[in-house]
Amino acid sequence: MGKFILNIIHRPEMVPEYAEKVTGQGKKQDISRKSLLTESLDIFKLQQQIAHEHGFRTTIQMTYASLFNDEAIQLAKQHHQQFGDEIALTLLGLPCKQFQEKYKTKDFCIWMFSAEDKRSIIDDVFGRFHESFGFFPESTGSYYLDIDSINYIKQRYPTVKCAVATCWEEGPKAYRTTNNSWYTLLDGGPWNPWIPSTANTHAPASGPADDSGIVAIPHLSRDLLACFDGNGSNFGTHPQNVLRGMIYSGDQFPYLFNLIDQYKALEKYNRGYSYNMMFVGPGWMNKMGRWEAPYELLVKSYRDGLAYYAELKKKGEIEDMTMAQFADWFRANKTYTEPCCALWKDILYGSQKQLFWYCDPYMRACLDMNQGGALVDLRPYVAKLHWPVGIGTAHVHDASYPFLVQSMYRAGYFTHYVGEGAIKSCKLSYEGEEADLCLCRTKARYSEKGNARILTLDPVEIEFGTLKLKLVSTFTFVEATGEITISRMISAMSRPDAVVHLNEYLTACYGTTEYPEDMTGIVLKGTGRDATKEIAYKYKCREETVAGARRVEALVPQIHTRVAMLPLQGEFEGYIREGYAFSPMFTLGLTSNLSNNQEIITCLKLEKAD
Amino acid sequence: MSQAGKGRLNYRCPACFIRELDIDMFYDKDKAEYYCLRCPFTGTEEEVKKLNQMARFRYKCLKQRITNFD
Repeated sequence: MGKFILNIIHRPEMVPEYAEKVTGQGKKQDISRKSLLTESLDIFKLQQQIAHEHGFRTTIQMTYASLFNDEAIQLAKQHHQQFGDEIALTLLGLPCKQFQEKYKTKDFCIWMFSAEDKRSIIDDVFGRFHESFGFFPESTGSYYLDIDSINYIKQRYPTVKCAVATCWEEGPKAYRTTNNSWYTLLDGGPWNPWIPSTANTHAPASGPADDSGIVAIPHLSRDLLACFDGNGSNFGTHPQNVLRGMIYSGDQFPYLFNLIDQYKALEKYNRGYSYNMMFVGPGWMNKMGRWEAPYELLVKSYRDGLAYYAELKKKGEIEDMTMAQFADWFRANKTYTEPCCALWKDILYGSQKQLFWYCDPYMRACLDMNQGGALVDLRPYVAKLHWPVGIGTAHVHDASYPFLVQSMYRAGYFTHYVGEGAIKSCKLSYEGEEADLCLCRTKARYSEKGNARILTLDPVEIEFGTLKLKLVSTFTFVEATGEITISRMISAMSRPDAVVHLNEYLTACYGTTEYPEDMTGIVLKGTGRDATKEIAYKYKCREETVAGARRVEALVPQIHTRVAMLPLQGEFEGYIREGYAFSPMFTLGLTSNLSNNQEIITCLKLEKAD
Repeated sequence: MSQAGKGRLNYRCPACFIRELDIDMFYDKDKAEYYCLRCPFTGTEEEVKKLNQMARFRYKCLKQRITNFD
């Protein structure tokens, strides 16, 4: 049996982000309203009580506001002594009268403050925690913790070993769902715990030299398919998020349990380890209800969620830990470069669709089996991009790790009848007809060999006018290389002597949102047996080919990344293609002829470009 | 009419929800209807509940417990 680890985290928020607006509707804003403070603490007490009834240890993340409240401090001390809860410190929950008077602002997200304010606030919050408890915490967090804050915290408060550091795929989609008013632009990170590099929170450390010193955990365990194309705050191990998405029937929440179970099943792809975290802020259980869900249903969903974890615990199928305990376990049992993998199945829409997610210190990648294994998301962690965020930087809000491919934001296979979208796929052609594997729905099987993670796709059928064939694709991710090798082999043909033309291509761009970025500065290069061709991107729709291709590549200086395609087995022609203003993409391609039972192999490689 | 307020529960606009927008609705007590500030949707509580139920059409596995994740 594998090891399924659970972190349950509670925070006495005192002035929950949502509750003031909701409970205070029609009243003048007053965050020191006594009824609000009392209710917030009552919710925290209820959450703690439910967890303790099931015998769970929690991590109590004290907020700045709660450090001014004697009752909250005493409760934390008592629960630590009585139940073994960890007393930690969050950088969420800053809003309170004392904070707003001191800092003269209503800002509350630590990563958005100026560098100077971040340091002042961190020192203030950690100092006040020490005054209250007599020690510094081992765990901290926020919705997102930028790397400059993490590095500062680790340097000043070395006891910290664990932090909630991102919300998986909570970016432009969540922003839009909130009527463009909730600025958590945090796409592109790992979905399961990782050790952040000292350069960028989202990019895992490659080794001790760039180890930030903490183990990061994501805020919630989120649906790896639903969140990729939907609001991240509907599909996670947060019972009230499930209510928000209206993913319940009556007062029953089977989807929440399916989600927990699928996370447990990820042990198959991660050498027996799987992980879950639940972290519900008090604002989600306020007495006024939350949207159309009344208070009673909010509480029931929380009770049911923890009861399900308790059921697993009774069967010995889950182990609850505090955050600090988990960090120790993670350090003792995981290496820097061991990938995190997930062959994720649709558990909500009934499509049978599968996505494969891969994450290591060199890349995060996603393959879509509904599109023949096309690569639909690619983040070049190899660049270890330092991307300061907050007031006074180039990115006040945008903390997302940039992509080279994001098919939801940049069209993918289907464009509105002109131009190209970002995707990596393969086209086969024969006698003037062409088929893209993006239109071949299939399934995948996962296996491992040494330090390689292998995804073998069920054969897809391609039908031309006078020829039918079956093609098998295999993707191999070799740990800590930044490489994906791709094998294509025809396993059956209606005319065994036929030869088809194969075009292995990558159409890419860069960015963090749906909107195009300036491609000027990108350099495309094709290296062949006898010649090297280059295109400096100027939106001129140019294309170059090289015979006897050795490598086709693009240098994307904006994100310090070089992406290349290399032939590993077979004879190829290479091409590089510039886009134009209405199609702001570039394409790299390797083409070859393919016969029955012949295998050709190419490699997609990511490198840091200084 | 006097200013609108919140109703018994804080209903979201079902037309916006279906396009993945969470927009609170406000209640016009004179007309006994909810309305959206962003889109032209108006509806009674009963209509809103019915449409919220309809919005679940995407969730074909809503009531299923799934045990096979292969």
